[in-house]
Amino acid sequence: MEKSNRFWRAILLAGPLAVFSVFVIWPLLSSFYYSFTNWNGFNPEYDFIGFSNYTKIVTDKLFLNAAINTVIWMVAAILLPTLLGLALALLIDSRVPGGTIFKSIFYLPICLSAVVVGQIWVWIYQQDWGLLNTVISLVTGETMRFPWLAKPDTALGSVIVAWSWQQTGLSMVIFLAGLTSIPEELLEVCEIEGTSTWQKIRLVVIPLLAPATVVVVALSVINSLKGFDILYIMTGGGPFHSSDTLAMHMYNESFRKYLMGYGSAISVVLFLVTLTVIRIYFRQLRKVDEIHG
Amino acid sequence: MAEAVSREAATPEFNPWPAAILVSLMCLAVLFLAPTIGVILSSVKTTRDIAFGELWAIPDSLYLGNFAEVVFNPAVHRYMINTLLVTAPATAASIALGVFAGYVFSKLPFRGSDILFLVIVSGMFFPPQVILIPLFRLFNTFGMIDTLWPIIIVHTALGIPICTLLMRNFFSTVPNALREAAILEGANEWQVLVRVALPLSLPAIAVLATLQFTWIWNDFLWPLIFTNSDEKRTIMIGIVNLKGQYSVAWGVQGALSLIASIPTLAVFLFFQRYFIKGMTMGAVKG
Repeated sequence: MEKSNRFWRAILLAGPLAVFSVFVIWPLLSSFYYSFTNWNGFNPEYDFIGFSNYTKIVTDKLFLNAAINTVIWMVAAILLPTLLGLALALLIDSRVPGGTIFKSIFYLPICLSAVVVGQIWVWIYQQDWGLLNTVISLVTGETMRFPWLAKPDTALGSVIVAWSWQQTGLSMVIFLAGLTSIPEELLEVCEIEGTSTWQKIRLVVIPLLAPATVVVVALSVINSLKGFDILYIMTGGGPFHSSDTLAMHMYNESFRKYLMGYGSAISVVLFLVTLTVIRIYFRQLRKVDEIHG
Repeated sequence: MAEAVSREAATPEFNPWPAAILVSLMCLAVLFLAPTIGVILSSVKTTRDIAFGELWAIPDSLYLGNFAEVVFNPAVHRYMINTLLVTAPATAASIALGVFAGYVFSKLPFRGSDILFLVIVSGMFFPPQVILIPLFRLFNTFGMIDTLWPIIIVHTALGIPICTLLMRNFFSTVPNALREAAILEGANEWQVLVRVALPLSLPAIAVLATLQFTWIWNDFLWPLIFTNSDEKRTIMIGIVNLKGQYSVAWGVQGALSLIASIPTLAVFLFFQRYFIKGMTMGAVKG
């Protein structure tokens, strides 16, 4: 029996492990290797230059700028869709008429690609005929011609709004699924006891949504790390690097300036940062598991 | 039940909450729909109209020239075919590999399998940029740059973590007794997997098919890195290139954006019923 188990384990795991090792694990380790070289991407020859790429990072002002933007991006791109999605899920779960229609409307943007979403929002922020300026002009009565994406102060924030618009539907759906698993009797007890709606949400519903929150935050982290596309489309990291993130900076150094060695060093730093985030996340996950079994 | 209780307890006073919630939801829905409506409007207007600030106005007549230009453009046909040639095999392969690995982790655990499982799942969290340069070099060595192969392979590999996670969680809900009974009847492990476990896990497969198809179809980064000739570009790169070609072709871009979104919308609508169910069972309660 055990012998046959061993046989099937090997057969079934061979494929996934081979593909995963060759195309994910091995490149991950190689990135460390290249970060100590001055490889330019097409020349087969390169030299080992020790820690030069890493000392360059410390003095690279653009790197610091991109790192700060990455933190802003990650925090906002996780918090905004999660909170908005929770709010929408609570509103829809209160048995309003047309709940299914609302659900579909809020979910729709998830089906669109970053390229299409970027495209749409470039038009909303457009200086001359964009929706945002048009609406502001109508409300205030003064002609508004603000170039939202072309100003360093507003570029990153504008992209974050577009991103939140797209991602909110996903967290809403997961929170709704979590809400259906809350026992009806519990909520009835609250009503009999005369708890206010706000107390009910804060003290009963939100704590019971912890498992759903774990999934929402995981997906938000994964998606926001992939937030390269929408920034590339909407601002390209500009203007004046005001919306540069580490992923963007790494792309520019590697594939525009052909400094693959330096690009690898940036990606190694990005990797180490991610590792820290994952460790914090798994620690929180264990806490939730302990409470909810 | 809850409704009955509240109706009994309700005082004859007017309760403003349901109306307030409905109104606020309607306002939010309009806000959420506005961007999508913008694309639809742009696709039925000429670029000249849009440039004169007419994008957000209700059109008097429908202009179908944008769609004609997109639908009869051979480059667009090529982009769509390339994208399908990448998305279909990569979706199928990543789900198959995830099914195999998930089955082992759930039904045939061994010493150290928990750690191996964690290593694979943590692959889900890494930014793809971290492995970009070595992969570029690897595929360059084998002369595979500017073919569709690297995109298919990378999407298959990067799909393994999420597929393994969901399938393991789902297979865990399949009772072990079913497997043991089948094995006593003389079935081998492969038959248990294909005839017993898989038919019970269709909701999970539906979730994965939707997620993977959408991610791969919509992807922009990998085709951007691995292809450079127009012959091998995918649809998302096509939309961006179109922008570069004309600099102002808003109407055509709108039409192409809509057409490029149809497959993912269709897949979502097709699997929708399973999707919510699978999410609830596999992800939230897993």
